[in-house]
Amino acid sequence: MKARTSRQWIVTHEWMVKPMRQREWIEKKGLLVWLAEVFSALGMGLYLVGLFAESWWATVIGWAFIVLFKLPLHLIYLGRPLRFWRAIPPFTKAWKTSWLARGMFFSIVFVAAGFVQIVLTYVIHQELVSGGALDVITVLNWIAVIVAGVFILLTGVYCGFAMSYCKSVPFWNTGLLPVVFVIMGLADGLALMMGVSMVTSDVDITTLESWSRIMLVINALLIVAYLIQAYRRHSAAELAARDLLKGHTAWVFWIGIVALGIVTPLAISIVTMFLPEEDVAQLLIVAIICHTIGAFALKYSVLKVGIYRSVLPKVGA
Amino acid sequence: MRWGMVIDLAKCMRCHACVAACRVEHFLPLHVTWAKLIAYEVDEGGEVDVTTYPVRCNQCADAPCTHVCPTEASHQRDDGIVVVDSDKCIGCRYCVIACPYQNRTFLSKDKNPGYFPGYEKTGFEKKGQTLYPHQVGTTEKCNFCVERLDDGTSRGLQPGVDRDATPACVNTCQARALTFGDLDDQDSNISALIRKHNGFQLRAEYGTDPSVYYVDYKLGGAPTNVAPWTAQTGSHMQHLSSVDRDAARRIHGEQKADTEVTS
Repeated sequence: MKARTSRQWIVTHEWMVKPMRQREWIEKKGLLVWLAEVFSALGMGLYLVGLFAESWWATVIGWAFIVLFKLPLHLIYLGRPLRFWRAIPPFTKAWKTSWLARGMFFSIVFVAAGFVQIVLTYVIHQELVSGGALDVITVLNWIAVIVAGVFILLTGVYCGFAMSYCKSVPFWNTGLLPVVFVIMGLADGLALMMGVSMVTSDVDITTLESWSRIMLVINALLIVAYLIQAYRRHSAAELAARDLLKGHTAWVFWIGIVALGIVTPLAISIVTMFLPEEDVAQLLIVAIICHTIGAFALKYSVLKVGIYRSVLPKVGA
Repeated sequence: MRWGMVIDLAKCMRCHACVAACRVEHFLPLHVTWAKLIAYEVDEGGEVDVTTYPVRCNQCADAPCTHVCPTEASHQRDDGIVVVDSDKCIGCRYCVIACPYQNRTFLSKDKNPGYFPGYEKTGFEKKGQTLYPHQVGTTEKCNFCVERLDDGTSRGLQPGVDRDATPACVNTCQARALTFGDLDDQDSNISALIRKHNGFQLRAEYGTDPSVYYVDYKLGGAPTNVAPWTAQTGSHMQHLSSVDRDAARRIHGEQKADTEVTS
């Protein structure tokens, strides 16, 4: 027996034999993908909430998250960043099947339409034009709002689809993932919107808080549903869920997502209902910070527990 | 036409010759391996053993890597072989994650430190960089030696039969555990092997339809029927004993003659 086991010097490839975590999108340079995805969600949430709440500053900051953080981080991550244009139509026809190519397209259209919307809204708000020109600009602004709104939603949702496409990682391979990412992004956007409103005072914070409470509860339910589904769907997905709840990544889940991302903001939003307005500001800042940490924790943990199904059926899940 | 490979698990003698041949053929960087031999433990009735599984890119008919590639750098040729155009690859690593068989490698700087890190490149390395430039920041994988195939077929040679038109790993396998041929041709050697020995694909449930098949001579063709080390060795010895005299002379004849002269 000893003689046989000693033959294990032969090159082994554990990531093929056992269910192992993916590393490309979360370790070393892969951390850039995580950060880019977080800013993608924050940018989408803030921009969309800003559009609905008619907060010009929120749309500017949401747009800036995409332009200054999401896209550059994604580009830096690429092995050959200067070739990024190859992923953009019409230089590629891969958008027919590739969510990454679609995402590049969505982001670029959003950046352009968002820029137009921000400029036109500024022109309208500052009353820089009047008469017939104002009517034309108002119509153009509405078109820009619709295009930018649709494409920022697509920009926020595509990474969920890109991940859920991977059959190799059963924990991601579900249609619920894009939904979780979008709802979480919107909740993050609401939290950041409160922060923006505390400075600009252009939106009623009490209304935002009410919406935030609802979104947080929906988020919590979605995460529970996602984990239950993972347990039932596939043994490798179950392994990932177990890792998330009890394994090496558990502290990120329980502290980052549950305690800071959901429970603390929810508790603060309930407590503030019974407090006078002048005492609320500091608590709200804490809630916003906790909520944002939760956004970082969610994407990190989902990427971190992306466990590959093993190649060989007998020895792995 | 769809090129495919059959790997005979019972004949494979875990010699790693296919791995080495692939490295030499493609001047692979130090920490990159296209054809791999996975070693792992099996427990059959309380007796623990170590066995191996030779793997390489499955050249799937419905390859997820080609679907996810945002630049079409990963694409499928008409003959079914999935290739990566290094000049188009942007290094997003989406294909590395999407491949259910984990057979793709992202070539980062640390995987290509040179054959003798810290020393000047050897003549072989320099030649390799000219003949087969590996671009850091792109993704790589086994390509069934398309260069050999294309060159050989352009000269009228038959892949799987003529060495100059056959993948290097198949040529070098001394146990003849690897067979190459056309899967679409019902009369081809590999189609016959798959039919006769109930060939199976890895993780067929993904629906990717791999072009690499495995045979292990066991009924049912279930992928769990991995031949243990002892069976592999026994089968290999049996195989060697059945090698015809000419082939044996080609392998051992010269050495024997030299020995005789010396003595």
